[in-house]
Amino acid sequence: MSDNRPKVLVVDDAATVRMYHTKLLDDAGFEVAAAANGLEAVEAAMSTAFDLFVVDVNMPKMNGYTCVETLRSETVGTPAPILMISTEDRPGDADRAYAAGANLYLVKPVNAERLARVARMLTSGVAA
Amino acid sequence: MNPLLAQFLAEAADLLTSVDEGLLQLERDPGDPELVNEVFRAAHTFKGSSGLFDFPELTRLTHAAEDLLDAVRSGRLALDSGMTDDLLAAFDLIRGWLAYVTTHEQLPATAGPAAQSLITKLRGPLGGEQAAPDDSASAVAPTAVSDSAPGWLSAFETEWLESTASWLVTTSATIRFARYTPDEGCFFRAEDPLHLVRQVPALAGLGLIQPFEWPPPETYDEYQCLIGFVLATRAAVGELNHLFRYVPDQVEIVELDGAAIRRHLSGEEPPPRPAQAAAEAVVQSQAQNLELARDAYAILAAAQRSLTADSPSGARLSSVAHSVAAAAAALGAPAETVEPDVEALTARVATLLAETPAAPEEPPPAAPPPPVERATADRGRADDPGGQVGTRILKVDQEKVDHLMELVGELNVAKNGLTFLADAAEEEFGSRVLGRRIKDQYSGLHRIAEELQAAVMDVRMLPLSVAFSRFPRLIRDLSRRLDKTVELVTEGDDTMADKDVIEALGDPLVHLVRNSLDHGIETSAERVAAGKAPAARITLTAVADGDAVIVEIADDGRGIDPDKVKRKAYEKGLISEDELEALTETDAVDLIFRPGFSTADQVSDLSGRGVGMDAVRASVEKLGGTVTMRSQPGRGTSTRLRLPLSMAVTQVMVVSVAGQRFGIPVDLVVETVRVPAAEIGRVLHQDVVVLRGEVVPVIDLARVLDMPWTPDPAADQRVLIVSLHGQRVGLLVEQFHREVDVILKPMEGLLAYAGEFSGTALLGDGLVLLVLNMKEVLSLAARTQ
Repeated sequence: MSDNRPKVLVVDDAATVRMYHTKLLDDAGFEVAAAANGLEAVEAAMSTAFDLFVVDVNMPKMNGYTCVETLRSETVGTPAPILMISTEDRPGDADRAYAAGANLYLVKPVNAERLARVARMLTSGVAA
Repeated sequence: MNPLLAQFLAEAADLLTSVDEGLLQLERDPGDPELVNEVFRAAHTFKGSSGLFDFPELTRLTHAAEDLLDAVRSGRLALDSGMTDDLLAAFDLIRGWLAYVTTHEQLPATAGPAAQSLITKLRGPLGGEQAAPDDSASAVAPTAVSDSAPGWLSAFETEWLESTASWLVTTSATIRFARYTPDEGCFFRAEDPLHLVRQVPALAGLGLIQPFEWPPPETYDEYQCLIGFVLATRAAVGELNHLFRYVPDQVEIVELDGAAIRRHLSGEEPPPRPAQAAAEAVVQSQAQNLELARDAYAILAAAQRSLTADSPSGARLSSVAHSVAAAAAALGAPAETVEPDVEALTARVATLLAETPAAPEEPPPAAPPPPVERATADRGRADDPGGQVGTRILKVDQEKVDHLMELVGELNVAKNGLTFLADAAEEEFGSRVLGRRIKDQYSGLHRIAEELQAAVMDVRMLPLSVAFSRFPRLIRDLSRRLDKTVELVTEGDDTMADKDVIEALGDPLVHLVRNSLDHGIETSAERVAAGKAPAARITLTAVADGDAVIVEIADDGRGIDPDKVKRKAYEKGLISEDELEALTETDAVDLIFRPGFSTADQVSDLSGRGVGMDAVRASVEKLGGTVTMRSQPGRGTSTRLRLPLSMAVTQVMVVSVAGQRFGIPVDLVVETVRVPAAEIGRVLHQDVVVLRGEVVPVIDLARVLDMPWTPDPAADQRVLIVSLHGQRVGLLVEQFHREVDVILKPMEGLLAYAGEFSGTALLGDGLVLLVLNMKEVLSLAARTQ
């Protein structure tokens, strides 16, 4: 595979979900890196420019909202699209995600096709 | 097994353990919000992961448990022991299911009813409302998936198809296959089939269709396209239709799930379908386009919410601009250059959402850097690779570490071979220089081998908490059944020991703790009557002591009454009348370890039948350890296990009889003595030797093992003195050799019956050393004498 595949960072504390999303997005033509919590994600984003973030909500150390806020803050300041995926399906959760800086909020489990489609759509400006 | 499922099972084991531990801690400390949160998170993560698989009962049950925990977390409910019981039962059930899944890759058939009754219980405190099953989230408009795989699927490698099918089945996903048969004269119409194929997004597999027979060279026309392509992709049918829009008649697209691929592989006929493939493709394509549009709208709606909630700026604003542009492109709306400000974007989104692909009301002036462009530039496209950011701890299969240890053992054997080679160089070939060089080489190798061995041993070390972890649950369950109140205290759980030691420690520890609960600890009423606190305490302590680890199980129960023990032992014929009088209290307590002893007035189902403290002692001694017990009537009992930190390497003393060498664990060896044959006397059919005033029985190893050797009565006799359970015994041997470190392998196969040996080891010269199990040797001696 070529080097100019869009880079995506998968952030989830559940190793199984991480593996699932990694495989899915790899199949969908992305170069995938993974982080197990918000803190790791922020660290990774500070050294690498990602084209997309797929972030879980409920995580230890730093939860998804704080993670997204930090990614958007001046510390990292990434303008890349952020997709939040969560098992929470309560009113207000999506608004919280958008207020933090997410570009789309989806509820788990996300259908494989849909995740790939949305990920590709959100990164369509990036050379593939 | 599918790697995703394997990952899930491994993760599930960890999560279930933390749920269990957390629930038990919560019972003691009900208010702790951090604990509740931890348990909730573990259950939540578990549910999230389970949703990836087709285990509906598992997800529903976890969902019910999670809802209950959520109510506790938010303070709507107070956790009581009934709820804890239900939660523990739910996770126990799940643990059982997962064991089944490990071997069958599916839930047991009984899962449905079993889950339902627990779900009802779990939902009881929540008002019993039956929440809808958690499948609403994945409710995506079903696409028309073809269940007949076209024959051209065979152009893919079978192995690849198999793994793809397995993956699709696990994730209930589908994949698109396409066959592209370019027209023979396509090159003349400026079509570039190869370029087209390279543009297929998310290509998962590619195969080539060659002509049935290539034309002979003389008639071959290189301007004819004779080949075709088959390809598999994660891209939607709509995307493919778009890509191949100029050559629709040359392309066939099908969407397949894992089952259809498997049917194709096994050559099964698909169920007949009325609809034609072409018609289906149209439906699929429409459905796909619909979904594409729906996703784009979702992104736009999200952008609208972001823009109206507050005024995003900086990176947030850029990202919104980016996502709006992406969604617009997907909708096929003309590209717009929008100012990176909230107003302009809001207007653009509103326009797009209103599905009017007209220009926005305020056409923005051609602003210099368009937001998306700048955003891309800002990111700087760093060259450094993304890389795995996950945890840096490896989970390694035990077998791999065991294999590594075996290899270290073999390396040691090969290394020891060099010393023999050095001797041979000197003696057989007369080259002292070569001998010395080999020895130099040996010492270098020896140092590396030792370091390697230490490193591997270190990898095998586990904390004692692994062995202790099951006790909170065990004690909770048993004490409830016995109606006793028991508090468990563990100390030194971070003490490390070899994994084999930890594993082997499990059963003896369970036995001792059960004994303590069953026999040692009184009921609360009895305790209060005796002036003790109503709650009893069991303490598990681990400390490292040089090369050994000491594990102590102590309770503050009723202790052991030495007189009662002596009487029981006497009644059972284990001791004589004289011993009944003479035995000290410590020795009396030790009687508990005799085979066939049990102090319980009635056998309870807790301690089990027929397995006594003798079994505990036997299994600990098999590990090369010792057990001692101390007790104070009315104050409690403590049992102390002393085990080697590592079982991988055993130091043995080598002796020989009739030319055959045997090893004896150095721990047991007291001394080596040479005595004139005349000094070996005979008392009651037993050879004895008097050493410093003590009469020590002597056993002729050759006779016990049935080896052809009789000691030369004229020479001094060589006797190895060993100590077993504090008793000294002499072994009459032919010769003493040196001590060696060996890696003991258990007696297997044909040798398994030979109880007098505890294992075998390879010596450097390639000979096999049999290591004696002294306890068995002594009892064999008692029988043959």
